[in-house]
Amino acid sequence: MSEEKFIFLIEVVAVLIVAVWISIASSLIYRKRRLKVLKYIEETFADIVSRYLYNDIQNPLTLIEIQRTLRKAGIKSHKKANIQYLINLMIRTQRTILGTNHKKLKMLYAQIPPYRVSISKITGFGWYRKAQGIREIYEMDQSQYRHNILRFRNHRNVYVRREAQIALVVFLGWESLRFLPYLKREISLWQQIKIVEKLYDLYPTPELPWLKKAYKTDKLFGKQLLMRGIRKYKLQAEVNFIIENLNHPNYEVRETAIYCIQTFVISDEWMVEVKEIFSILPDATQQMQLLKYIFNNSEIDLDFYLKHLYANNDDLKLKIAEILWNNGYKEKVQEFYYQQYAKINPYVE
Amino acid sequence: MKKVLVIQEDIIIKKILERLVGLNNYTARAIKSLDELNIEDQQTNFDLIITDILFEGIAPLEFVSQVQEIIPHKKLLIVTNMGQDKIKKEIYALQGISGFFSVPIDLDEIEKIIQAYR
Repeated sequence: MSEEKFIFLIEVVAVLIVAVWISIASSLIYRKRRLKVLKYIEETFADIVSRYLYNDIQNPLTLIEIQRTLRKAGIKSHKKANIQYLINLMIRTQRTILGTNHKKLKMLYAQIPPYRVSISKITGFGWYRKAQGIREIYEMDQSQYRHNILRFRNHRNVYVRREAQIALVVFLGWESLRFLPYLKREISLWQQIKIVEKLYDLYPTPELPWLKKAYKTDKLFGKQLLMRGIRKYKLQAEVNFIIENLNHPNYEVRETAIYCIQTFVISDEWMVEVKEIFSILPDATQQMQLLKYIFNNSEIDLDFYLKHLYANNDDLKLKIAEILWNNGYKEKVQEFYYQQYAKINPYVE
Repeated sequence: MKKVLVIQEDIIIKKILERLVGLNNYTARAIKSLDELNIEDQQTNFDLIITDILFEGIAPLEFVSQVQEIIPHKKLLIVTNMGQDKIKKEIYALQGISGFFSVPIDLDEIEKIIQAYR
């Protein structure tokens, strides 16, 4: 390599190193300034919220003053990152506070919606922005937009419709169950749990008329959701809905019913029905699960156990034999054993 | 006038509590962490301390013990994001804890306690 070429190479490397240094320095300066701006926004918002929640009669905080202060802190329509930061702060604060102050915050947020950013997200393109907009609206409890969100309950994108369904629960509580028959797409197990948990957190008192109306739904996921609700709220009086679904033709519905019934101790009359359903259950695994429930929640019913001891399912027979053996009916198990032995042994005359 | 020390890392909670305390005729001093504590604070006998327990580099119980040790006070109220039952039990097992509030908090309840101390 010639000397000239070598010097040129060194110059190129030096320029590259300088460029990298400049970009690192500018990035550091930008980050420092940005952090300062964000801190200022947070402090301004904290001051506004504290003054709004505990307003001083001598020096009241007005809406115009709030808007001016926010604008001064950099909350302007063209500064989208600042607005998004403010929205995150608003959501964080709303989640932190309960009671009358929560309602006050809701009022404040309704008066200072930052340039309708969240609502404009749900009318824009892209599933991510839509889902984010819906989440922001329900997290800030902005129920005035619930009609805009309602139409997304059957959206083709799973994340958008999930957020829309949660929003309906947040805004309408138990009344949101009336939309169950109109849902066209499956609600996943995860979403069912999320809905029930959200409902329980925000509306801990059950409103049975809405629940009873929802029983009419023919949607399988709807039935599962309702049973999970009954379980979560421990609605003993509604346990018949779960029992009715123990012998549903659909496997998943039966599975949910068996899972949910385990929370409840039921009356002898209902137990008779459960035992009848047990006899006609088409799936052996589910029969085993239900048998466990029956055993744990009722007295030993010898006729019931003997009937199934002499039935065809070997796993069930084994389990029932174990139950009888451990609960004072050894002779019945021995009787069954020898009877069986006599039948299959070709050498016995 | 009675004195209250608020120790909260969350600026918004800190500001709200400072305001709440101030409007209830207490002298409020609000700080983000123990690093902001000055000599004067350590010599003041606060009537009430309202503090978080979740700070970087220190375990919650250790933090409470440290506060109890280095800041003279009469009552100690915990307002925190860390509301697990286990932590709550452990905190109450310590001596001199007047109350424990985990997020989400009802400020009206805290105000009642503050007014009761007045």
